[in-house]
Amino acid sequence: MKTHTHWIGLAVVIAAIVVGPQLTSNSFYLKVLFMIGVNYLAAAGLNVLVGHTGQKSLGHAGLFAVGAYTVALLTARHGWNPWLAFVASGVVAALFGALIALPALRVKGPALAMVTIGFGIVAEKVVAEWQDVFGGQAGIYGVVPPTWGSQSLDDRDWVWLVGGLCVITHLMLRSVLHGKYGRAFMAVNTAEVAAESVGVSVYRTKVMAFVISAVTCGLAGALIAQQNQFISSDFITFNMSIFFLLIVLFGGSSVYGPLLGAVVLTLLDNFLARWPHVQHFTYGALLLFALYAMPDGLSAWLRSVAIRLFPALGQHPAIPSALSRWHLPASEALEANRPLLSAQGLFKAYGGVVPTNDVDLTLRTGHVHSLIGPNGAGKTTLLNILSGVVAPDRGSIQFNGVNVVDMPANGIARLGLARTFQNLRLFADMTVLDNVKVGLHRHIEAGFWSYLFGTRLSVRGEVQATDEALQILGFLGLADKAYERAGSLPYGVQRRVEIARALATHPRLLLLDEPAAGLNPNETRELVDVIASIRDLGITVLLIEHHMDLVMRISDHVIVLDYGQKIAEGKPADIQNNPRVIAAYLGTDDESDDAALSGATGASHD
Amino acid sequence: MVAIFQALLSGFALGGIYALVAVGFNITHNTTKTFNFGQGEFLSVGTVVAVSAMLLLAGKDIHGALTPEDVTVWRMLAALAICMVLLGALGVLLYYTAVRPFVGAGGLAWVMSTLGFGIIIQNAALAVWGPAAMVVPSILGSDVIRIGGAGVLPQEILVLVFSICVMLALDYVMRKTKIGKAVRAVAHSKAAATLMGINVGAVVVLAFVLSSGLAGVAGLLIAPITTASVFMGLLIALKAFSAAIVGGLSNARGCMLGGFMLGIMEAMVGLWQAELRDISIFLLIIVVLVVKPEGLLGTRVAEKV
Repeated sequence: MKTHTHWIGLAVVIAAIVVGPQLTSNSFYLKVLFMIGVNYLAAAGLNVLVGHTGQKSLGHAGLFAVGAYTVALLTARHGWNPWLAFVASGVVAALFGALIALPALRVKGPALAMVTIGFGIVAEKVVAEWQDVFGGQAGIYGVVPPTWGSQSLDDRDWVWLVGGLCVITHLMLRSVLHGKYGRAFMAVNTAEVAAESVGVSVYRTKVMAFVISAVTCGLAGALIAQQNQFISSDFITFNMSIFFLLIVLFGGSSVYGPLLGAVVLTLLDNFLARWPHVQHFTYGALLLFALYAMPDGLSAWLRSVAIRLFPALGQHPAIPSALSRWHLPASEALEANRPLLSAQGLFKAYGGVVPTNDVDLTLRTGHVHSLIGPNGAGKTTLLNILSGVVAPDRGSIQFNGVNVVDMPANGIARLGLARTFQNLRLFADMTVLDNVKVGLHRHIEAGFWSYLFGTRLSVRGEVQATDEALQILGFLGLADKAYERAGSLPYGVQRRVEIARALATHPRLLLLDEPAAGLNPNETRELVDVIASIRDLGITVLLIEHHMDLVMRISDHVIVLDYGQKIAEGKPADIQNNPRVIAAYLGTDDESDDAALSGATGASHD
Repeated sequence: MVAIFQALLSGFALGGIYALVAVGFNITHNTTKTFNFGQGEFLSVGTVVAVSAMLLLAGKDIHGALTPEDVTVWRMLAALAICMVLLGALGVLLYYTAVRPFVGAGGLAWVMSTLGFGIIIQNAALAVWGPAAMVVPSILGSDVIRIGGAGVLPQEILVLVFSICVMLALDYVMRKTKIGKAVRAVAHSKAAATLMGINVGAVVVLAFVLSSGLAGVAGLLIAPITTASVFMGLLIALKAFSAAIVGGLSNARGCMLGGFMLGIMEAMVGLWQAELRDISIFLLIIVVLVVKPEGLLGTRVAEKV
């Protein structure tokens, strides 16, 4: 259904691009069509960065400048072939995109906006002030436009050229955004720590988004320079960066958003240009008031209207009724009952608070281990250290024979360590199915280029990922929720979706941080079965839990922490009778009433 | 040496302007996690309105030109008052139309809406005043004062003294008075502040009034040095924003420090190579943020997992 409408829509757009320019020979109209194409190109890439990855950039005029001046200098000064120079402008812009991604990775929110503004202004000033090279306001004349055979392009040809590039860009970005990288972008956008926990590198994903946006923006710049056969510093303004961002925000983050935004805002820009006051006034009013009607952009608003008119559009694919039972690939199985993870002398202090104080730990394959202790005993910190979210001050961790201290969380995840979060970290705006497919990220063979060109490998990868994700959901009894938005589900179901996402990484070790918190007694009982069936798949489990009946029923081995130190470990029955454990939970007679009270509060969570 | 001293003084004055606007960003950011992306337009409009008020008070047309005799102390103060009232009102309007509907909705809708609001008032102002720059004589005259051989405009001294006074007063109010404590409580936690009986809505509106007013003061102070126009605000607001980020958006004192640092640096680099001023400033900002993403005096908020 969805692909159907897409191809029909695409055919309409292509027909419009082919026929439209032939209906007029008015060069103003043709110029407007050209500008729509150029703005779409710049916005389409920026949408990947802003709309999907959530990195707000206010400096893309700088990347536009990189593309424009690359093509200008290469053709006008160095006599390059114009087509080759055009391609080169994309490559150079990509390099600059990677360059600004580096500082941008360290900062978030307003500071990120500042870094990008800074880059945009530096670019603007460099081309304005460094006149020997860039010509300043006088600019560079004689930029060579591409030719077709020996024929130079007229206004109509330019529209076709841009239109063709737009269609190609749309198809490529659509393939990327609807595949594993699109999910990775969204995952990084909503919950970076969770993306890392399933083996998606936040660093690489952000750089990728920056580079994609840089390439399309640079190409847009090159087109403007080549079409005008001229570029000067007057083209590169802060307002241009804002305009690009507005197209993206106004259009909305769907793959069609930039198209809608580019069409509406370019038309507005040009047709109201006769009345400059009205033009800018409308512009401002549109920005302000369009948001009341369509907070998620024009595309999202149109979609909701369309679904109201034609409910069939909102339907999701049918969920197969008979799913084959999910199992881990046999090649990844490990021999049972040997040390899988061993940690020595782990220590972490925050000022005077020492949540992890010289803890030694050994987890054995095929076992269910539990980590218990009163509130504030340092359980979650220990789990964060094991999964690479927090770096220990000292100590060593061997996981499956590899030293994982100082390894980024996504690297540890790739070695087969998965986790859930005490405070849920789902990708709330994505469907349950897509959440699980993010977990499958590194098991999808097809790479970036494969997705960019929509090869068979990428199509097959998506189909297999959907199949396996549905199987995993079936394994946890969630198959009927596959197409629901993860953030809209009840708490207990969300907890289970997190387990599904973690299982999708094919873990050898699964860390569960309070999986029963907030569950009702019925759901808690089911959880015991879920954990048992995960163990039966050959996955080792480390469980943090306050529900003692659950812990005692399922665990092979219990570790007790108090004030950051390991005070006991052993079989559940031994732990229940261990005097130090009882003291930690209930307090002893010689301790003050306060301590006894706080211990009791910790235990009362059961 | 004299030149450096002179640049230092100019830099301090310029820094005072940036600091005033930057503190405005800090106040609304702390209380609502948003700020006015059209602050530059607020600054411009406030200034041209104040200049027109002075013209009208001097019995001239709003398109006339101010002569040094037209600028008297009471006219200046009246213009300042008018400017503050207008910007305060605009601040309230901005909050209700462009900020409150979108706050907390996630995403960047408030960026668009405040930008849109700024574009609207800028164009309204363009329709009335046109794009031309207006010369504003300084109330202290234009005779250069010599301090240790360095020539300084009296207005620069005024800017410096006035902006420091405003900031000291603000710092005192924020730290020592009941209303200041209410603002800081709201910044910390809206829910807890409400439970303690603080009228959070009123505090937030106050933040926007204050922030807009500060922009107006800054504009009126700098106008005699640069001239007033509908376009004067953009670069000032941009640099003030940089100052806030470098100093630490969440910390008012950090914003002030950032403002002065930027002003001084701009003046110093300008002394050496005028065209490198903006380039060096924004390069520095990128470097500072890479080393210390939360800004010089900002506090890092660790994500709890």
